[in-house]
Amino acid sequence: MNHCVPDFEIQMEEEEEYPISISKKPSTQNDEIMELLWQNGQVVMHSQNQRPFRKPPPPPNTNGGDGVIPAREIRSSEAESYGHQHLFIQEDEMASWLHYPINEDPPTFDHNDFCTDMLYPHQNASASQNHSSAAVQSSVRTAELRHPPPRPPIPPPRRPEQIHNFTKHGNASSSSKAAAAQQTVVDSCDTPAATAERAETGRASVSAAAVKAAESGGGRETATCDVTVTSSPGGSSGSAEPVQREPVVDRKRKGREPEDSEFQSEDVDFESPESKKQVRGSTSTKRSRAAEVHNLSERRRRDRINEKMKALQELIPRCNKSDKASMLDEAIEYLKSLQLQVQMMSMGCGMVPMMFPGIQQYMPPMGMGIGMGMAMEMGMGMNRPVMPFPNMLASSTLPAATAAAHLGPRFPMPPFHMPHVPAPDSSRMQAANQSDNNNMLNSLGTLDPDKSIIPNFTDPYQQYLGLQQAQLQLMQSMNQPNARKPSTSRGQENPEKHPSEET
Amino acid sequence: MSTRRSRGSTRISDDQIIELVSKLRQLVPEIRNRRSDKVSASKVLQETCNYIRSLHREVSDLSERLSQLLTTIDADSAEAGIIRSLLNQ
Repeated sequence: MNHCVPDFEIQMEEEEEYPISISKKPSTQNDEIMELLWQNGQVVMHSQNQRPFRKPPPPPNTNGGDGVIPAREIRSSEAESYGHQHLFIQEDEMASWLHYPINEDPPTFDHNDFCTDMLYPHQNASASQNHSSAAVQSSVRTAELRHPPPRPPIPPPRRPEQIHNFTKHGNASSSSKAAAAQQTVVDSCDTPAATAERAETGRASVSAAAVKAAESGGGRETATCDVTVTSSPGGSSGSAEPVQREPVVDRKRKGREPEDSEFQSEDVDFESPESKKQVRGSTSTKRSRAAEVHNLSERRRRDRINEKMKALQELIPRCNKSDKASMLDEAIEYLKSLQLQVQMMSMGCGMVPMMFPGIQQYMPPMGMGIGMGMAMEMGMGMNRPVMPFPNMLASSTLPAATAAAHLGPRFPMPPFHMPHVPAPDSSRMQAANQSDNNNMLNSLGTLDPDKSIIPNFTDPYQQYLGLQQAQLQLMQSMNQPNARKPSTSRGQENPEKHPSEET
Repeated sequence: MSTRRSRGSTRISDDQIIELVSKLRQLVPEIRNRRSDKVSASKVLQETCNYIRSLHREVSDLSERLSQLLTTIDADSAEAGIIRSLLNQ
């Protein structure tokens, strides 16, 4: 900055300075200007207050020997103190660039172009901003708008289709706002992907077709943009904002682009023979049309998938991932935990009416165990997707964990002979809940006739209880401070519990 | 198929997505019982959304029942504690 502004000044006043070699330069009228004058190799600085400041010629200032050195002005926007320090710094710098002004024509980078570069880009930016604001307020779209003019036959057929999609989405559960944003998201993502696809598949013979397809794709984008703009008032009033926001997010949301093509690739495996057939088509126009149709259907498919991903994302609480893979991961975890929760609650619902006096001697210890098991089951079930559901964790795990520690030794679990069977299951617990359930259910099925501490329970409840107990053991083992591996520690616990139960 | 420039990343993510979709397929009972190998991603996602919504409904129903049960039983009993812990999810 200092280069620019003082140079500017220098440029204006250099003509005056040049004929004057040593004389003092009259100070300009600016308060902030500090004059730095060279006088015979010595720096004499005159501030506005006419305070001369003499400096011995510094060693690095090899220029000091030169007699005729035009005075320089150094303009510092800061106070004089800063200027003083600035002065010292500038000494060396001036040594380097002092050489330049010796030439009659100031170096281009110093004066004219430097300042013009500062000025003109602003104009360009403002012009482009005007353009963009006049357009759909998206630089992506402005680039597309400046794209070669769209082919007339393509956009109109797309228009009703897009509008049709909009109406369809408007009726769907997901709001038309989301749908509009969805469309723009997909479309903006589609352009580079589509054009890249076409670029890849286009050979020398079909390059023209590919270019045409790209153009039409660009045209379709513009048409889509227009449609989105026009339909946004038709849709919800607030749709304009997400429509504007989405393209900006799109450029950042680079993860979506490959995801689109990935999802496409999954079905392309099924459709590849068709595409190859199209590739082997006779004429280029036919192939381009077929490719166009293919691409359109692909795009429609991707639209549907993206819309469903969005709906899924909305269903999942606290999902802030934009990456498809991680979002699917979260969806899976959430689904598992939901299933678990429903199991818990249904079991709880079924258990409470069973509190009849007949089995009360069994129930309270069992009930406590079950309750804690269930609570900890919830906690553990929520433990796995630890990040997304911390609120559930906070409520359930803390009281449950402490209670489990108390209940541990007294817990009558062995009747189900859980220890042996679930030991391998616990290691697989992370993998899939369903398989664990199945294993435990199977083991329970075999062991039920042997021992049952709750004689009157129906089979599903026994199964659930078995599940509870197994997971309770797991929680206990995990809660123990020296539990390294659940299986091993449970192996240690179990023989302890066996005698306790038998007694 | 996939674009050339993003092929490096798509190769990894492709498998991930296929795996995730298959996992979802296992979890969602409708799809699992249908025994069809060629379920499209869109179908899986749709079924997942429906399943999650139905689970939500079930959870709310069960919560209602549990809260009703809570009123009928002794508030100090262990069962009440169980139910409360269930409801506080």
